[in-house]
Amino acid sequence: MSESYLKKENLTKLIEAFTGGGGLFIAPTLEDRQIFYRPVSTGAEITFDYIVPKNSHKELLFPQTEVVANYAIGKDAVDVEGVEIDPPETIFFGIRPCDAASVASLRSVFTWDFIDTYYTKREEKTLFIGVACTAADDSCFCTTVGVTPDGSEGSDLLLKETEGGNYLVDVVTERGGEFVKRFDDIFIGPEPGGAVDGMKPIVDVPVLEGVDREKIHDFLKNTDHYEKNALWGEMARKCMGCGACTFGCPTCHCFDIIDEGTAFGGERRKNWDACQFDFFTVHAGGGHNPRDTQYKRWRNRFMCKFNYYPNKFTSKGCVGCGRCIRVCPVRLDITEVMEDISQQ
Amino acid sequence: MATDNLYLPDLAVIEEISDETYDTKSFKLVFKDPKMRDSFDFKAGQFGLYSAFGLGESTFCIASSPTRKGYIQCTFRNVGRVTSALADLNVGDTVGFRGPYGNWFPVDEWEGKSLLFIAGGIALPPVRSVIWNCLDMRERFMDVTIVYGARTVADLVYKDELAEWEAMPDVNLIQTVDPGGETEEWKGKVGFVPTVLEEAAPTASNTIAITCGPPIMIKFVLNALGNLGFSDDQVYTTLENKMKCGFGKCGRCNVGDIYICKEGPVYTSGEVKQMYNDF
Repeated sequence: MSESYLKKENLTKLIEAFTGGGGLFIAPTLEDRQIFYRPVSTGAEITFDYIVPKNSHKELLFPQTEVVANYAIGKDAVDVEGVEIDPPETIFFGIRPCDAASVASLRSVFTWDFIDTYYTKREEKTLFIGVACTAADDSCFCTTVGVTPDGSEGSDLLLKETEGGNYLVDVVTERGGEFVKRFDDIFIGPEPGGAVDGMKPIVDVPVLEGVDREKIHDFLKNTDHYEKNALWGEMARKCMGCGACTFGCPTCHCFDIIDEGTAFGGERRKNWDACQFDFFTVHAGGGHNPRDTQYKRWRNRFMCKFNYYPNKFTSKGCVGCGRCIRVCPVRLDITEVMEDISQQ
Repeated sequence: MATDNLYLPDLAVIEEISDETYDTKSFKLVFKDPKMRDSFDFKAGQFGLYSAFGLGESTFCIASSPTRKGYIQCTFRNVGRVTSALADLNVGDTVGFRGPYGNWFPVDEWEGKSLLFIAGGIALPPVRSVIWNCLDMRERFMDVTIVYGARTVADLVYKDELAEWEAMPDVNLIQTVDPGGETEEWKGKVGFVPTVLEEAAPTASNTIAITCGPPIMIKFVLNALGNLGFSDDQVYTTLENKMKCGFGKCGRCNVGDIYICKEGPVYTSGEVKQMYNDF
């Protein structure tokens, strides 16, 4: 495929052409002085000056709350009907390489033997247009977990910014290639004889020196570390169990299934939940709780990222987006724990 | 029901309710959809999610035997929101069912062996499924011994079936209640299950042991079985943890990286010993 460009000034044209056909175009926007991925209808709504938005594509593929069935309780009978979804064709514009690498993570969980079609139907309808990072903040640690700021994993197209504020388009997947072809009046080649402006440098995210992934892997692999309660207790001491890290995390997948309604009917919903909540694993009757203290719950989350995911799937448990660090009200930094464990 | 919706339960009607104890009931459930009724199949040890619509779902094993077709049974203690809503239902009412989920007891591999079932309290239902499964093809096995105990006589479940097993000439039933739990009429033993088990001293030779009970009982039963010469691959148990989905996604029931709902709930004691001490 020949090289193509996307000019920022043409984004509105692309959005209109795409959404005009019933599609949904999601991009980073500025909202209350914070960056969120939201549906947009013009290029003017998009913000280009961002690092990692507050929310992630997780909200799109695995909504925070969703109705899976409706039930009606009649005098003589109960009826239940599943909710079918038909998600629109969606462009997820501006996904960062860390988030894009985590698409495979959620897919692993939701297709592990049992296929959760609420997830797969949405993912199959979504085209991810990644944008390589030209800036990072102190919380970014993608390179420490094996992701790069211009990595293409999970993106269908990867855009790289030029000094002039336009994008050079790398076609990553066949689907991405078809998309470029479909809108070939917008994805244009370099103008004949026209000057191609220089590329903005990709940000350098240094690998954290104190973190040794092999050591973390070995430490977690050996069940003996479960006896080191004092160590875990110390590392997770600050955690107050708010669960904000899990809601922001693009690979956290825990959920609850609950009924909401009246005596005559209602909805069965699948809602985000978090392994950090104290009632998450409590047994009914007697209240036995296998993860009865906060450090055990925090340990579970850490192990999920660096032991369970790697053991079960080929996808990553942590992609280094840094949301859990930015959002933590007590500044419990997962990379500091990675450093602590690397020194064990 | 032709659907790809993992979360959609099938409807089942309560055909019979038995009061097992003061807080424990059994339902006999028949699927509303006649096709489902005929085609539904499961293996002993598998479980399901039972809905009381409006309150949600609760997880219990399928307590009936896969050899008995056309219906399923479940037994539950009224201890939580969903189970108390289920307990309020009457014959003819509708519940939801999702399943069967999880793995099962490898009954076929036990042919020609003696079987030793050990259960405590409300943990008899999962063992009962495999007991009837084996008794319904009794000729394939050698000796069958059942050790069942509860805190008090009032806590024993399936009293009718205990009498049935008692009367069977080719089943050796040992019943016990914890010290202080006996009544004047009690004819069984008095003592904790692991102690009674060791006193009974069943042979480990060519025998498979199947046990389920409260964690503390399982721990001591495994010790007792070790003392009797049982090796780790001769002993099967079934674990439980809080579950919501039943198929390895909701993130609750894991012990380390092992999802009890999907890779369990049935394990050999050797497998349990390899697990994190997290349940």
